[in-house]
Amino acid sequence: MSISVSLETAPARKKPKQKEQLGWLEKTLAGIAGSIEQAVFTEEHSRKDGWLQRIDPRAKLGMFIGMVLAASFSNSFWALAFLYGLALLAARFSRVPFDFFVKRVWLGIPFFAGIVVLPSIFFTPGERPLAFTVGSWVIGPTLPGLVGAAIFIMRVAVSVSLAVLLVVTTPWSDLLKSLQALHVPHIFILLLSMTYRYIFLFLRSAVDMFEVRKSRVVGYTSGHDQRRWISGSVGNLMNRSFKMSNEVYAAMLARGFTGQVRSINTFRMTGRDWLALVLTVALAAGAVIARRFL
Amino acid sequence: MHIPDGYLSPIVSVGAGVVTLPAWAIATHRVKAVLNHRTVPLLAIFAAFAFTIMMFNIPVPGGTTAHAVGGTLIAVVLGPWAAVLGISMALILQALFFGDGGILAIFINCMNMAVALPFVGYYTYRLIAGRSPLLSARRVWAAGIGAFLGITAAGLLVGTELGLQPILFSENGHALYSPYGLGEAIPAMLLSHVLGASIVEGLVTALGVAYLQKNHPEYLTSLKNIVAGGSVAEGQVTRRPIWQTITVSAVIGLAVLLICGLITGGGDPAKMFGAEWSSVSWSDVAVMLLIVGIISAALVPLAWFALPGRLKKTGAWFTAGAVLAPLGLIAPGFAYGEGSVDDVSQAFGYVPKGLQDLSNIFSAPFSGYNVPLGFTNGNNSQLWRAAIGYEISGIAGILLVGLIVYGLAFLITRTRRTTASDTPATTEVQPQ
Repeated sequence: MSISVSLETAPARKKPKQKEQLGWLEKTLAGIAGSIEQAVFTEEHSRKDGWLQRIDPRAKLGMFIGMVLAASFSNSFWALAFLYGLALLAARFSRVPFDFFVKRVWLGIPFFAGIVVLPSIFFTPGERPLAFTVGSWVIGPTLPGLVGAAIFIMRVAVSVSLAVLLVVTTPWSDLLKSLQALHVPHIFILLLSMTYRYIFLFLRSAVDMFEVRKSRVVGYTSGHDQRRWISGSVGNLMNRSFKMSNEVYAAMLARGFTGQVRSINTFRMTGRDWLALVLTVALAAGAVIARRFL
Repeated sequence: MHIPDGYLSPIVSVGAGVVTLPAWAIATHRVKAVLNHRTVPLLAIFAAFAFTIMMFNIPVPGGTTAHAVGGTLIAVVLGPWAAVLGISMALILQALFFGDGGILAIFINCMNMAVALPFVGYYTYRLIAGRSPLLSARRVWAAGIGAFLGITAAGLLVGTELGLQPILFSENGHALYSPYGLGEAIPAMLLSHVLGASIVEGLVTALGVAYLQKNHPEYLTSLKNIVAGGSVAEGQVTRRPIWQTITVSAVIGLAVLLICGLITGGGDPAKMFGAEWSSVSWSDVAVMLLIVGIISAALVPLAWFALPGRLKKTGAWFTAGAVLAPLGLIAPGFAYGEGSVDDVSQAFGYVPKGLQDLSNIFSAPFSGYNVPLGFTNGNNSQLWRAAIGYEISGIAGILLVGLIVYGLAFLITRTRRTTASDTPATTEVQPQ
């Protein structure tokens, strides 16, 4: 039994006040740790040898956009379910851990989309199959409300699944480069990739600041003190950003940066990439159009 | 505030590019003109900074936490165009790599948070700051209010966009995307921002600017053109005494109330807030004020001393609020949504049937928030008597609710403790 566990269960410890006090610190630390972990995890999966990993990132981006647009435009539950089935198949062939893929999507959605859509089930006008009466009020979900909510949740689920699939199977540098195919200016792509690189440095400094504070402060601090500390650390990080940007600029100049952005493009679309792209877009278009004939 | 994919019609979410793309183009051009090649590392690093501070949980009064965006802070220091690019980069990375906000929704999320937010924030700041010295307290306030309004404007935009969906995109009477109309979506977004996120953003921005003034004034003075839009005096870091702040904000608050009252009353001081003030008997009001004063003089210190340490401040404020509540009786007319059946029939000329049914189901012991005694509730009872009845029923209600909550909390902790002591071997601490 570790020290912390024996401390927690010690009878002398009456009120768990410290936990409440430090909640905001721990939440931030956990959030930062979570995003770093996710980035590492994503990189790991994007290097595996799977079906989506082998496809040219530009083709993958096109496939993603086609599928997401289809999910956004289609208004039938079955079309959306079909698209979700396709996403599951793609995940299977790309060696994305199945439970991760399904769990991550379906744990988040009921909490956000589900809660958002819940009241509308009761207020959409229509037939109420399961209704009970209180005074002169009739309470119960309506059929159109339920159908609308199911379609809404399914659509959000498909969109989120597709985004997860794209990100998990593509190294971020490739993903950013593939944006060139959409005629995103080079300067933007350079900015994005530099930002991505410095995010981890800043997250690391933020973790250090929070851990230092956590390990050196005992007892009760007022909300006002906490907010002052937070805004102090925001100001401090801003100061570091200024200093660092000067240093980085000096380093870039020293390495011959003239303001021109060039990047090596090693991507080559093969026949298989074209096939995958055309097939996916056709399936996506089919899912939208099928409804008109059914 | 990050809209995920699927909430909006792609026509809206991709269509927002009409605003976002030109904004990005202008921003790149403007920032390059000011900062030339330095732009690239500066913007990349500030975008990383924006991303990092969006992860900070800020303790909010009441025990929860909220996120800051920091857009106004960046806009105040680097200018709104730089803020547009910095926050956009952070938002794009959040959507692409961390699943926060949809990918099709990037345009619309950037329009709300990276275009509207810094511009509203920055120009409010400039308007309030005027030509005051760079290191003056007025600029701290200006930045705080700018940040508050900036994020509220972004929330209003999100509410409008969500609210437009069922109006524009419906099929056979059911909504295809977000199902709530403008009447629900806008108040929900506005309220949650005005009462929470906006206050936090304002506080953090104000405190952040104050921190920069005190510790790194060079960032405000060397970028003078952006921070103040021209040459102004540097000035000294000043700290306004707290009583001045409170007085100024109280005066401003009263003035705003007065103006609102005059507007709703059609400019006639006797009809402020649309009520008929000439029907109030002011001598009754004086007696009532006296009684309320006496009661609060007795009860507020009592609450202060009786309550345990951590509840003292909040408890005393709540007691004061509860005691002062009957002052609302002065206002002629009935409170919106609280009127009895009689009031409703008087105002509308008829009684909805559902209301009549419902009002008969339950008749409260203190109906109409009053004690059913001739003294306080008689036909010709005076205002101050009604006020005493109001006070008694209010205090009884608060005590009742307090007792119920306390009892429930007691029961919960007790059951938890007994289960914990029954099985001491399994009390593993869950890692947070």
